[in-house]
Amino acid sequence: MSAAPQNELRHEDSVPQLADVSVPAELKAWIEERMAMYPEPKSATIPCLMHAQKLHGWLSPDAVRQVAAVMRVTPAYLVSVASFYDMFELKPRGRHTIYMCTNISCMLRGADAVMAELEAQVGVDNGGTSDDGIYLRNFECLGACDIAPMASVDGTYIGPLTVADAKALVEDLRAERDVLPEKHLTRRPAAATYWAAGKRIEQGGER
Amino acid sequence: MSSNLQYRSPYTVVDALPPGYSRRPAGEPERATITFTIDGQEIQAPEGIMVVDAAKYGGVEIPVFCYEPKLGAPVGACRMCLVEIEGIPKLQTACSTPVRDGMVVVTKSERVVEAQNGVVEFILLNHPLDCPVCDKGGECPLQDISYGWGGGESRMVEPKRHFEKPVALSDAIAIDRERCILCYRCVRFSQEVSEDYQLVLLDRGAGAHVGTFDGTQYIAPFSGNIVELCPVGALTSRAYRFRARPWDVEQGGSVCTLCPAQCNVSYTVRDEQVMRTLSRENAGVDDGWLCDKGRFAYEAWESDARITTPLVRQGDKLMPARWEVALTAAANILKKSGPRTAALAGGATTNEEGWLLRRLMLDGLGSPHFDSRRGGEFDFDVARTLANPALAATMPDVEWADALLVLDCEPVDDMPVLDLRIRKGVRRNGVKLAIASARPSSLDAGATRVARIAPGGAEAFTQALLAALGDGGDVETLCENAGADAAEVRAIADLLAGAKRPVIVWSERLAVTGRGAAPLRAICNLADRLGIAAKDGAGLLEVPLSANARGLREIGLLPTAAPGLMHCDNPGLDATGIAAACGEEISALVLMNTDPLSDYDDPTAWSAALAKAGAVISFSTWMDAATARHADVVFPAEVGPEKDGTVTHPDGRIQRLRQTVERAGEVNAGWWVLNELGRRVGVDLGVKVANQATAQIANHVGIYAGVTTAELGGDGVRWQERDAAANLPRPARTTFDLTPPPAAPSSDGYLRLGVFRSLWSGGEVVNAATLATLAAAPRRVELSPVDGERLGLTSGDAVTVKTGDGEMSAVVALRDAVPAGFAFVSADLRLDEGDEAAVATLGRALASTEERSAEVTK
Amino acid sequence: MDDLLFHDIDEPGLNTIEVYERRGGYETLKKALRELDGDRVLAELQASGVRGRGGAGFAMGTKAGFLPKGTMDKYLCCNADESEPGTFKDRELMQKNPHQLIEGIVLASFAAGINKAFIYIRGEYDAQASILEAAVREAYEHGHLGENIHGSSFGVSLVVHRGAGAYICGEETALLDSLEGKRGNPRLKPPFPANAGLFQGPTLINNVETLSNVSHIIKHGGEWYARIGTEKSTGTKLVSVSGCVQRPGNYEIELGVPAREIIFGLAGGPLPGREIKAWFPGGSSSPVLTPAELDLAYDFDTIAGAGSMLGSGAIIVIDDSVSIVDVCLRTAMFYKHESCGKCTPCREGTNWTTKMLQRVSDGLATPMDLDIIASVQKQIMGNCLCVLGDAMAMPVSSMVNKFRGEFEAHIEQARAKHTPLSEAVRAPLDLTKQGAIA
Repeated sequence: MSAAPQNELRHEDSVPQLADVSVPAELKAWIEERMAMYPEPKSATIPCLMHAQKLHGWLSPDAVRQVAAVMRVTPAYLVSVASFYDMFELKPRGRHTIYMCTNISCMLRGADAVMAELEAQVGVDNGGTSDDGIYLRNFECLGACDIAPMASVDGTYIGPLTVADAKALVEDLRAERDVLPEKHLTRRPAAATYWAAGKRIEQGGER
Repeated sequence: MSSNLQYRSPYTVVDALPPGYSRRPAGEPERATITFTIDGQEIQAPEGIMVVDAAKYGGVEIPVFCYEPKLGAPVGACRMCLVEIEGIPKLQTACSTPVRDGMVVVTKSERVVEAQNGVVEFILLNHPLDCPVCDKGGECPLQDISYGWGGGESRMVEPKRHFEKPVALSDAIAIDRERCILCYRCVRFSQEVSEDYQLVLLDRGAGAHVGTFDGTQYIAPFSGNIVELCPVGALTSRAYRFRARPWDVEQGGSVCTLCPAQCNVSYTVRDEQVMRTLSRENAGVDDGWLCDKGRFAYEAWESDARITTPLVRQGDKLMPARWEVALTAAANILKKSGPRTAALAGGATTNEEGWLLRRLMLDGLGSPHFDSRRGGEFDFDVARTLANPALAATMPDVEWADALLVLDCEPVDDMPVLDLRIRKGVRRNGVKLAIASARPSSLDAGATRVARIAPGGAEAFTQALLAALGDGGDVETLCENAGADAAEVRAIADLLAGAKRPVIVWSERLAVTGRGAAPLRAICNLADRLGIAAKDGAGLLEVPLSANARGLREIGLLPTAAPGLMHCDNPGLDATGIAAACGEEISALVLMNTDPLSDYDDPTAWSAALAKAGAVISFSTWMDAATARHADVVFPAEVGPEKDGTVTHPDGRIQRLRQTVERAGEVNAGWWVLNELGRRVGVDLGVKVANQATAQIANHVGIYAGVTTAELGGDGVRWQERDAAANLPRPARTTFDLTPPPAAPSSDGYLRLGVFRSLWSGGEVVNAATLATLAAAPRRVELSPVDGERLGLTSGDAVTVKTGDGEMSAVVALRDAVPAGFAFVSADLRLDEGDEAAVATLGRALASTEERSAEVTK
Repeated sequence: MDDLLFHDIDEPGLNTIEVYERRGGYETLKKALRELDGDRVLAELQASGVRGRGGAGFAMGTKAGFLPKGTMDKYLCCNADESEPGTFKDRELMQKNPHQLIEGIVLASFAAGINKAFIYIRGEYDAQASILEAAVREAYEHGHLGENIHGSSFGVSLVVHRGAGAYICGEETALLDSLEGKRGNPRLKPPFPANAGLFQGPTLINNVETLSNVSHIIKHGGEWYARIGTEKSTGTKLVSVSGCVQRPGNYEIELGVPAREIIFGLAGGPLPGREIKAWFPGGSSSPVLTPAELDLAYDFDTIAGAGSMLGSGAIIVIDDSVSIVDVCLRTAMFYKHESCGKCTPCREGTNWTTKMLQRVSDGLATPMDLDIIASVQKQIMGNCLCVLGDAMAMPVSSMVNKFRGEFEAHIEQARAKHTPLSEAVRAPLDLTKQGAIA
């Protein structure tokens, strides 16, 4: 039977102490400010974990302990919350993240092929991180079916993607430049305007 | 708010209170009786209890997995209890639907049966069905419900979910995640009952599983309860795994005597051996919970460390001896010493043993020198005032108070199950909790008010509280003496003054501060000031320093009082006096279940006293320091499941211990040994079976008059609620003139020393395999981060703590909540070689109001 | 009729307070605070008949009226956890016109006596959350939020709270737990949020689109609003159209127009040469409808009458090039992934259904498995703690029942590729992991 590590043998020590955990000053201040925004400080859990994740790249045990020490909760409570949500990473991941939507609307527009090409380009399977730090995973509906098939790259919504775009996307990321700038969702007008010019989707892309 | 949130634990019988409730707590709302229909029969039940419980009044069983009222509001997660309720289109969960007058419930319709079959099928989809090799087999709700409410087949052909298994959750518990049906009981216990927040659900959906942070052990004082809560074989006790099947064992009910909580237990016995300890729910005592110390102590009782034969000293060594030899040797000591014999009894001593010890001393030897207290002045008026039934808080009162003050006491260490009761009150009933303690308390997080006081500052704090309540005295000065913040003290005073049902939980430590009965007089005045006697549901609850302290006091194992707190014409020496008189007025010492070197304050004095005592007779389970070094004759003491007799709970409940296993080795009953000693010194104590001693108590202890084991039954009876309570002598006065508490000591730039005792101490912890690592934790000194930085210390540093008395080694733990200027040292006293100075220091600091300062260096 | 919510939606800078105010924004709020009391605002909302745009379609004014009166802390949670597959309208509203939402939140809070408001926005909407945060800051600076708004005695605070990726948090009680910093598990009801919601206080939970309507309702009056749409489905609706259409996107329609007009007229219909095989009328949780049902009026009650639901107003179109088995499996996988795991039928049912559909897809099933799939959906429906289980069971049932023939044909074809079923079904167990306790 695999024995659990023999640490924290006293029940009094279940909440990490600020005295023992070195918390970056910016993170501590951010968490304290965030906690003050709610009637119950625990409400700040998700934003605080997200902030720590941004800082550390993932929710490492140390990152979790830091949040726990400032929020005065147990790390177990935090990982219980974190492991519930898709955007928290409890294992190390790359510095770039690609969430490729593979839900129905994107699937209907060829997301699976784009995902396959992304896997080939990044050089990892779904859920993997490449040696040069690109983390690729499929994702449930990201709420941008108007640009299906689409992906969220480091939080930026990009689409509609073709199989050919996958290569350019990864190249842009590797070159640390703006990814497929002409396909950013935020630059797209509402449908009525966008399609007004008589544009439409045909087999194999927009015309 | 809807009744869902105000959920109360339902009762199973309509016209009786739950086990252990001799009266309904004043704060608990009453329920009207309503009539509803279930499966065609009209049934009466208390209004608003859940349908699943109401159904029981009609003998209808509705299956449940996640529902467990002890855990608080229902969660409705397992969906096993779906029933039809007329007028509601969808099936409803019976566990979360309060019953109403006129409600019509159907539990056996085709629709309901289909849903039940469906849920059982779903639950079993990923369950391994490994019943033949599962520890739960034969006592498994999943087995029972699958058989009773399942469709009998599964249509799933896909592979089941797999987890690594079994995995150690801790030294105590193994987890098999494949068997887990995700009923949430264990994690709800961790989060909503013990509030340790260490056992959690990880991931979500079909991948959800129970676990801890980063694979750390689940270390919590009450962790073992999750094994009992688990309705399947997912959580098992590692100590019990594969040791017995339900049909191999029998259960024997008794009471745990390891601490004042006196939880009701049920020992699982196979072949005269305790295989495990389960809780035996008593709402008046433990609410159905046990601490891990009580749960796993049985392992220690089986260990080689236990003394199981009489021992007689030959030269330097204690050698096993036949009973006849040991009894004769002891009788010779007693006869020789006669009235110069003294006796001390510790907390595991039953009322009967205490009673017979008292008679042996008085009637057999003519000695009035015996004590069950740790010393300190005994003031009749104070004792009688504090024993006044009108001032007594029951355990349920703690939970239903509207304001609760915990004074100089850390329940989780001093009376563990009380900690859970307080948390329950705060969480579910909105109890406003105030804490007054030197060391940050584990209850601080749920408290409305927290007053940090200086170690030993409890008396000054109480007086400051009185002053703030308008009872005279200067609040500021008293607060300064108490080391407390005046604003906080005033706020606590307001909280208590505004309460309809104020309850004060205080530690017997206040009685042994070196200030005599003065701190207790302040408590009496506080009770008077708050009008507690006239307020239903208000009261005081003393947390004694040992398990049966209250019983031993009340049956008269006191040098200065006769049984039932009656006047005594011929007082003897108290514990402190006995220590001082050893070698002079006292020439022999009987120690019953106590080691003065670790149990009493001032081990230095006791070390000298024992050396001078002449002869020492010890009744002991363990080879403790006093026994090992000083005993001339050792009688092996019985442990919990071997004992017959009674003990008295801190709230006055007389409870019965029942023997459930044969005594180990050559162990004999304590009453038998005392009776034999009596015979040999020329007095017939008249006890041939255990309950004859109980009968003597019933005849001679006024407030316990007429009590019988039959009357006590399984749940015990509070003596305050029997007619004989009228036999309590009235105090001459109930309020007192207070002497000013000592002025605030100055620490001269040193750290001020406070001492705390962990729950994880004693022979039962050290010798139980499951608990051993907890006991082995090094002594620690808790410092504030500020002092840590000033002294260049970080957590984990090995340091030397120097005091005026000497020095000791310890490991630093920096704690954010420790106020600057203080050092709290754990006093888990282990009298190892070279440890005596430490023990001496800590022993004195534990109880004294005298200033102790400390210097902590690497 | 003219667009209401999407009016000049692409106006440059509309997301800034400067442009919003220049175009008359926040005037309604000022006027309401000056001239109306909360009850009157509530009455207008009730008169408008506006129904929740998040999925359940419950009348907003009625819901707001459930909140108890009194001076206790009361909460408003704007549900911006737009996660229903096929739905993306709130995203565009928040990104392009955040102040329209904020003004609606303040007005709704005024109506229900609410003093603390939160926008719970899904974590993936990073750009939109940042825009909202900026807009909230601006609104505070301009006195539209905070204490004593525009000199009135009314005040409300507003915090933008980002989620972290969990569909279930769109369920209102799960949203509350998540906002309280917990796992997003749905709660038992009762108590209902109106009585004991966020922090156990009275709570009003409304969707972004619903709240974005509020300033228009108060500006023009409830009666005016009630005249738009049908009698029981008043107002306009943003419809997210996606899938196999030529012009996917958000379109604002008057409730009650024929679905065909939306799919063909606005979204351009299927790609050239393709036929519509099926369509989800209200997100992936809604039972699919067939081409025969394209002429139904697109409003709450008509779609419900056809055995489906308007839901969040997300139409996903499936054409004849797509295998319904793939759509069904993808649908089930989504709900399996998003099940919180709290209640048995949903946790186990979605998982099992996915495994069965995977077998169907892989050709490792028989038509009898389709019966079991259908029966398992029945075992889920109505028996769960919240609606997520039903959200899978309903569309999966509809697909298996309405396209039984296609499923059977798929099984027949796919099975031919495989060796005996028994071998493939029993995936080897990894026994190396089965440690034993000493």
